[in-house]
Amino acid sequence: MNTKKTRIMTAMAVGLFVLLAAGPAAAHFGTLIPSDAIVTREDQTTVTLDIKFLHPLERHFMEMVKPEQFGVMHKGKKTDLLESLQARQGKSPDQAESFTYWQAEYPIRRPGDHTFYLEPKPYWEPAEDLFIVHYTKVCVNAFGLEKGWDEPLGLETEIVPLTRPYGLWTNNLFTGQVLYKGKPVPYAEVEIEYFNDSPGNINLIQAPEAPFVTQVVKADVNGIFSYAMPKAGWWGFSALSEAEWTLKHKGQDKGVEIGAVYWVHTRDMQ
Amino acid sequence: MRNHSFKRSVLIRGLFIFSLGCLMSLLLMASTQAHKVNLFAYAEGGTVFTESYFPDGKAVKGGKVLVYDSRDALLLEGVTDQDGLFHFEIPKMDDLTIVIDAGMGHRNSFTLKKADLEAGQ
Repeated sequence: MNTKKTRIMTAMAVGLFVLLAAGPAAAHFGTLIPSDAIVTREDQTTVTLDIKFLHPLERHFMEMVKPEQFGVMHKGKKTDLLESLQARQGKSPDQAESFTYWQAEYPIRRPGDHTFYLEPKPYWEPAEDLFIVHYTKVCVNAFGLEKGWDEPLGLETEIVPLTRPYGLWTNNLFTGQVLYKGKPVPYAEVEIEYFNDSPGNINLIQAPEAPFVTQVVKADVNGIFSYAMPKAGWWGFSALSEAEWTLKHKGQDKGVEIGAVYWVHTRDMQ
Repeated sequence: MRNHSFKRSVLIRGLFIFSLGCLMSLLLMASTQAHKVNLFAYAEGGTVFTESYFPDGKAVKGGKVLVYDSRDALLLEGVTDQDGLFHFEIPKMDDLTIVIDAGMGHRNSFTLKKADLEAGQ
């Protein structure tokens, strides 16, 4: 009887250990968040963009070196903004050390949709034995002209919105298409996380179980996916593919996870 | 009995007309919203450039543009071209209110600050 009890206890302890060792189920997200998603004449017309590599729900930072590419597309024209990036330090309340992230200011001068895009340098993730590159986008609308948001940028992989990506209420459905080299990705897996540090979020979300941290939906045969966002704030959508190319780590070829990330903002209907 | 049902039918008809009115005004409001006109202006090289457009990017063609100073005095007026554009020389170093009037209640305004004009001389 006693040994049986001990055995059960041991099994439970082992189980717990395995769970802990597996670590948080949080997904990595390239994060590109503007201070405002809809700029009007009455607003501050200079937007501040925060560029981070995060576990958005758990608020954990990861070190980020200066990105490979950062710019904005407006009326079909791309402008390189790499030189406007400033290094900043940040950490979540439960992280001991702080990590580098990036910030840029951009004065919006013309009407229309401004799609900001980011290509980070490959991030080596020892836990997954691969590199991670998240091509990240966000759209800022300016001065009442709602044009440009549905145009692809021609990134290696990207999400192209089928839902206008601003002016969304909480619970609205966001639909997008996952492209890889400009072609739809059938049955792409899309990870979704809420950005817990969204401005105005007074009610931090604690995931009751690991699967709640990252929501997962799969795209259809045309690479089209949808998700209804149940809370006000910023939502990250990340469609992951494996690159056809590899990168060297300590002389060995390693796989590269490429993510197409898109951020959208919702507001409560009131 | 007859009188009673007559009253009821009047009431029902009244309600019907009232709700039809509500529905129509809702529809009208919705269409105004969906066709909200916008005007955007900036100053460059001594000229004020304006562009007038609907949210989907369609140009406001032949819209009336009215330019007022900070005391609401009309300085000049003009008409947008095929691309919704209209430009004019900076008329006065002052906060300018530029109004686009596309008719049928399609009207909006844009304030170009004195500082913006000075920067765009």
